[in-house]
Amino acid sequence: MSVLAVQDLRVGFRDGTLAVRGISLDLGHGETLGLVGESGCGKSVTSLAVMGLLARGAARTAAGIRLAGEDIARASERRMAQLRGDRIAMIFQEPMTSLNPAYTVGDQLSEVYRRHRGAGRLQARDRAADLLARVGIANPGLRLAQYPHELSGGLRQRVMIAMALMCEPDVLIADEPTTALDVTVQAQILRLLQDLQKETGLAILLITHDLGVVARMADRVSVMYAGEIVESGTAEALFGRPMHPYTRGLLDSIPVPGKLRPGDQLKAIPGTVPRITAAFRGCGFRDRCGLADRGCEDTIMPREEGPQHRYLCRLSSELQGQAS
Amino acid sequence: MSGRLTPSAKAALVIGGSVLGATVLLALLAPWIAPHDPFLQNLDQRLAPPFWAEGSLSGHPLGTDQLGRDYLSRLLYGARISLLIGAVTVILSGMIGVGLGMAGGYAGGWLDDAVMIVVTCRLSIPLILVALTVVALTGTSLVVVMLTLGLLLWERFAVVARTTTMQVRHREFIEAARLCGASLPHILLREVLPNILPHLVVVMTLELAIAILLEAALSFLGLGVPPPLPSWGLMIAEARDQMFFMPWVITIPGVALFTLVLAINILGDGLRDLVAGGHAR
Amino acid sequence: MTALIDEAGPAVSVRGLRRDFVRGGGLLSTHATVRAVDGVSFDVSHGEVLGIVGESGSGKSTLARLITGLLRPTAGDVRIAGRSLAEADRRQRARLIQQVFQDPYSSLNPTQRVRDIVALPLVAQGDVPREERARRVSEMLALVGLDPAVGERYPGQMSGGQRQRVAIARALVLKPRIVVCDEPTSALDVSVQAQILNLLQALRRELNLTLVFISHNLAVVEHIATHVAVMYLGRIVEAAPTAELFGSPRHPYTAALLQSVLTPEPGKGIPRIPLGEGFPDPAAIPPGCRFHPRCPSALPACADASPPLRVDAGHLVECILAPETASREATSQVHAGLGP
Repeated sequence: MSVLAVQDLRVGFRDGTLAVRGISLDLGHGETLGLVGESGCGKSVTSLAVMGLLARGAARTAAGIRLAGEDIARASERRMAQLRGDRIAMIFQEPMTSLNPAYTVGDQLSEVYRRHRGAGRLQARDRAADLLARVGIANPGLRLAQYPHELSGGLRQRVMIAMALMCEPDVLIADEPTTALDVTVQAQILRLLQDLQKETGLAILLITHDLGVVARMADRVSVMYAGEIVESGTAEALFGRPMHPYTRGLLDSIPVPGKLRPGDQLKAIPGTVPRITAAFRGCGFRDRCGLADRGCEDTIMPREEGPQHRYLCRLSSELQGQAS
Repeated sequence: MSGRLTPSAKAALVIGGSVLGATVLLALLAPWIAPHDPFLQNLDQRLAPPFWAEGSLSGHPLGTDQLGRDYLSRLLYGARISLLIGAVTVILSGMIGVGLGMAGGYAGGWLDDAVMIVVTCRLSIPLILVALTVVALTGTSLVVVMLTLGLLLWERFAVVARTTTMQVRHREFIEAARLCGASLPHILLREVLPNILPHLVVVMTLELAIAILLEAALSFLGLGVPPPLPSWGLMIAEARDQMFFMPWVITIPGVALFTLVLAINILGDGLRDLVAGGHAR
Repeated sequence: MTALIDEAGPAVSVRGLRRDFVRGGGLLSTHATVRAVDGVSFDVSHGEVLGIVGESGSGKSTLARLITGLLRPTAGDVRIAGRSLAEADRRQRARLIQQVFQDPYSSLNPTQRVRDIVALPLVAQGDVPREERARRVSEMLALVGLDPAVGERYPGQMSGGQRQRVAIARALVLKPRIVVCDEPTSALDVSVQAQILNLLQALRRELNLTLVFISHNLAVVEHIATHVAVMYLGRIVEAAPTAELFGSPRHPYTAALLQSVLTPEPGKGIPRIPLGEGFPDPAAIPPGCRFHPRCPSALPACADASPPLRVDAGHLVECILAPETASREATSQVHAGLGP
């Protein structure tokens, strides 16, 4: 059963740009769904729209956003504030921006628990210390008394994860959780998220631009481009048999050890992401696609390539033919 | 950039800019549009009321002062004095302040400490007392007023130039310019200055308004422009004796001063929004 | 101009480089010395690409600025094509070595047109006539794959990839032989990163450039570098030809770094990195081997003495655990490790 189901989510900005164009997501208990794309593809706007945290000037519509059975698409701001941090939590790229520099780690962790659970001061402290230990922090008592700036980037992100998990949420949205961290710390943090997920059955929506991170973490992957999900499938299917030219382009554009000989050229994707308005029809990738023809200016129907593996391209069977 | 401005900021730019522009234009054209010589006394026509009051004289739309000089002409020539003093003060204090501020902000270290000490010292100097001393030593003259104000009103330029330079100094394009072999003057004038200029323009409007007000205050106290020059502050001072019987003699230069300073401040607010908007992009 | 270049020796030669920063030291606080780079020596031959990898706090960006002369070393010497950087004036230095910065949004002056940005090194030389400047700027823009008409634009009107191309054009307009690239693609999207890496590769071949390529992305370094040096807390702890280093890392830190690389291969899972929660802090460098508090295979001796430098056929390691197969005497041999 899915704990987070988003249907036909759309977000538009006041200047006429459509940032998210009818995407649907389905996240099951204990599952990790990766949402991949480059800057400007709409992946972060998607997460903010689900959390009800869009800035003023952005308009959201959705056929439905169901969180553990409750439709939150039309929930009041008051109800959303109750749910955020309790049933659905979020961690960001730069933990420093979401931690308050004026309060100790212990105060901030306890506050979440006291607000949502009405717990007493001591009970909340115990819970905070317990969670710091669970996220692999060696000396929780010391860390509780420290301020965010006294911690390293990796420790801060562990604190953020602990804070997100204080109330045992159903869903964790992790928006580029390791992009600001060093590679060794990145691996440690991702490993931690996986271990916690196994223990608690947490559902994780992992938003990232890093194909390596998403391949190793996600059970299923959705690739976003220009506000649409252009391809989705299990990680094995999507990385093993990418169908959309954009997915293929992304995979070919990163250097992978052993795949290229020294001096080989990487396959770059030419051009840049177009600005999409309401008048836009057809494939958003066609200006950068080597296969595109006039037919790509019409509305593209989704195709299937095996169970759960869908993509938005009318020409990619030829693409697969070329490649093999 | 203008697309991001709020309507009120746009209105501020238009209103403030056009009032200041009109004043500058009137001041520049004063020799051609003033109906009379502002120094010409006519003791037969003393203290004539302006056109809306009873007993006004044709040819003197704003009346005359206690020496029978045409009030409109004196007002127009007075605008020249105000703007001249304002402009010279801003240029002089701007050069001192921006020079010191950029030097301290870019070099850092002991030079920056020295600049901050000089700024602190300047802030502890009472302006009016210094003006009083200078006048006592040299006598009043236009040049003395401009030098006094110009040499004393630079601290805001210095502080703003210093902080904005410190922000720009660490941007990578400054390091890139150094690696390109650019000289220090080139880096300061071509790389740093254009990037801090918008902030300095805002300070400039503020200082212009302050200089104009201070000139009026100094002249009112008899420490500023010497008579018979037609300064607005001097006009207000000379009108003190008549203000209860003929209020226009003090109201007219007072309103002119108020309007000009208000317009400059409104323009400054609009420019500040413009700068902030430009940085938000 | 050509007299500046010594073709026979190494393109970049660094000896005993050290750089301290003083933090604090106001009226009421005490000085704290941060040693960002501590005793670094290496050579880069003409035409090579030296990749420098390391985490934040490793001193790799400080090293880049020491090599280009943006920072003065506390001790040690940088020689570019046989010339001491400390003795070169600003114009000579600009002809010898240039840098491409990390963030093309910050490295281009937003108030200047692209043509003026690219022309700046020529203007600074002081003896290049206006027509020649215009011609060379157009040539350079074309060489980095931009339409020379973009010269009229401002950086704010361009995409990140285009801006980084402008920055590369500016770095190459004086035809330097050595370019330091400090994280040149980490602010860019992956598809644009590939464009820039391809461009650097092509330019390197065409112009016979020597590159010092600094990055935290090991896959990128493996792709572009001929030799790799791994930095940890201000020191090079391991250096070797690229295939050698990635194939058989000898320092435990290098091994952990390589383990941490996440290739897009589903099913492989997240590796367990045995480094603990410590992090390298250049303000508090541990005694002995500076990696020992995080090292999974540290011995008691590691906390006491600095690790020996071991050199074996161009592969140098600073670790007590590294196999002691070769002599560890002359430093000249060390440098041969990265030299020709």
